[in-house]
Amino acid sequence: MAEPTVRLSGIVFSSLAFQHVNRDSDVEGLILGESKFEEQVTISDSQADHIHIEEIYNIQKHISCLKLNDFYNSVGDVNVAAVNKILADNKQENVIGWYKQRRNSDQQMTFREKVVHEKLKASLSNPHMIFVLLTPSRLTPTGSTHKMEYAAFISRSRHFVNVPVLVNNLGVLEQLAYWKASAPCSSAGYHRTMNTHSSKFFSSNGLLREVNDVNSMNDSLQLELQKASRKLVESERLVETLQTDISVLRRKLSEKKKSEAGKGGPVDQRDQVLHEAFRSLLCCRLFHTHTLTLEAFPVPGFSEQDGAPETASPLRPGKRPKETLVGTDRKRRRSQPSE
Amino acid sequence: MSPEVTLHRISPELRPLLSSVVRNGRVGLDSTNCLRVTDLKTGCTSLTPGPCCDRFKLHIPYAGETLKWDIIFNAQYPELPPDFIFGEDAEFLPEPSELPHLVQWDSGDPECLLQLVKELLQQYHHYQCQRLRESSRLLFEYDSLLEDPNYGRNMEIYAGRKNSWVGHCGAAFCWRLKRGSHVTPTDTAVDPGEDVALLSVSFEDAEATQVFPKLYLSPSIEHALGGSSALHIPAFPSGGCLIDYVPQVCQLLNNKVQYVIQGYHKRREYIAAFLSHFGMGVVEYDAEGFTKLTLLLMWKDFCFLVHVDLPLYFPRDQPTLTFQSVYHFTSSGQLYSQVQKSYPYSPRWDGNEMAKRAKAYFKSFIPQFQEGAFANGKL
Repeated sequence: MAEPTVRLSGIVFSSLAFQHVNRDSDVEGLILGESKFEEQVTISDSQADHIHIEEIYNIQKHISCLKLNDFYNSVGDVNVAAVNKILADNKQENVIGWYKQRRNSDQQMTFREKVVHEKLKASLSNPHMIFVLLTPSRLTPTGSTHKMEYAAFISRSRHFVNVPVLVNNLGVLEQLAYWKASAPCSSAGYHRTMNTHSSKFFSSNGLLREVNDVNSMNDSLQLELQKASRKLVESERLVETLQTDISVLRRKLSEKKKSEAGKGGPVDQRDQVLHEAFRSLLCCRLFHTHTLTLEAFPVPGFSEQDGAPETASPLRPGKRPKETLVGTDRKRRRSQPSE
Repeated sequence: MSPEVTLHRISPELRPLLSSVVRNGRVGLDSTNCLRVTDLKTGCTSLTPGPCCDRFKLHIPYAGETLKWDIIFNAQYPELPPDFIFGEDAEFLPEPSELPHLVQWDSGDPECLLQLVKELLQQYHHYQCQRLRESSRLLFEYDSLLEDPNYGRNMEIYAGRKNSWVGHCGAAFCWRLKRGSHVTPTDTAVDPGEDVALLSVSFEDAEATQVFPKLYLSPSIEHALGGSSALHIPAFPSGGCLIDYVPQVCQLLNNKVQYVIQGYHKRREYIAAFLSHFGMGVVEYDAEGFTKLTLLLMWKDFCFLVHVDLPLYFPRDQPTLTFQSVYHFTSSGQLYSQVQKSYPYSPRWDGNEMAKRAKAYFKSFIPQFQEGAFANGKL
């Protein structure tokens, strides 16, 4: 369902109001501008893809009639020739509606206004036309304060619907999103300037030039990302395979260990023999620390291993008892590497 | 707002058009009251010197409701036809080509606006009848009544949404039951208007489970029938139809009116008989409604007045006799009197017989009255 909105600039609105203030009767006329339909897509938590159509009527200009009932008769029949005369140099396709300023009356369309609106739509072959109604009235009995109410109406299946009217100021305060289109302007000078300089900024498809370049860069980046993604996928798959193999091997190893621990197998026995061999070797007195004489013969009867004096033998010189050589309490120290 | 005030404030060029509306504007079934104008406003600036009002609200009685239509002229363009806002009936959009007085609007014709309003009201009636199609039951009621020429031509339909919060559609059917005069004489000093009786039947829901009938009588008929409480219409029977109910109410009203008419003739006969019997003794009598008669009589040099008051439902109800002494006063300064409501009387007697019997009663009662006057009154 289209959501219609009527927008007019503060300048046009104030011009309308000013015109009526200076006329001693009701005033009516034609409205020029442009109407456009924009598709808005909104994504929310509840709905992934919500499309609604915005129907926007931009009022850019108004042309007042010199007198009332200028382009229609008492039963509301529209005189197209009179409409064209009112338009003068303006194009008929720029007409997006008409307006009426009625003093001291209700904010409702009258019987004739409804009839004229329907017939104007048919005469100008424009099914999307608006009717703007301004109703100034006295707010206080003394007339010190007046109010100007305004509303717009469109016709849907012969039912007239009230449409919100937004009056743009110098800055549109309610604009929170990005601008998707340039501000509408009917000035010929503006169009001339745009035609002259737009090629520097816009490409043939109407987009900004930089936008195309950025899009190309984005495409390239996407390709690189895709390549890197593919490589990543492959390496991840390889890692996964290897991890699977490792897991299998570990499982096998642990199973094997469990089974060998129960039986005492050949591996354990070999280890024990080796252990005994090392023990015997290391327990040999030859490898024990000895106390030596000055002639470098061990003092018999002393062994640091068992502390008991030993008889000296030629192969095993013993330690001189209670006589210590000068410097025997000096132990050989492994030279430490200098830092 | 009185018509004079309205006409004083309206723009001079529009005055003739509005004059015929506020003075002679009787539209629809309820033509006892003129159309009413309120909320006069102007489309000119406040600097424009008055009177310059050119837009107003018109109150139109219709089917027991009051339509409030805004009518908008332009004081600066008085030759242009008016525009309308049909109040809450925003969907009512008549075909302009079927409004002859709009097609051929003539601002110089004082009746043009009034005729245009009548044509719009006709279109409005068709619009309301179309809305009855939302309910098959109400449509049946309407169609059955439409076939009867006695009621179909004098019917107004209002199919407004009275209980919009419930989503129901109600309808009010309104008929003019009797039109005409000479039902009863009226006070010539005050114009009670045309004799009209309107029956309004409101359906609060489309299934006709809540139906409320009301009877509206013009002042003359209400007075003739003896006040607003004199006539009680029956309740709408559950499951009943209008085609049965409306004739029943019509018959009841007609019977009542006929009874009152007969009573009028009987009273006239009674007075005539008394005039004949008492001749020069008649002081005064009601020569229009024949409801009162005063006699000055004398019995054995004792003069007294007899006031005869005939009730509305005479001869069913007995006339009241008030004897009044011309000599004696009460302590409050009033002439001594006695009221007699019980005396020999029969509604089947004709006027002559009633006069004779009354004369005989006077003779029998006067001695007693004289004694009472002497005893209780003072000269």
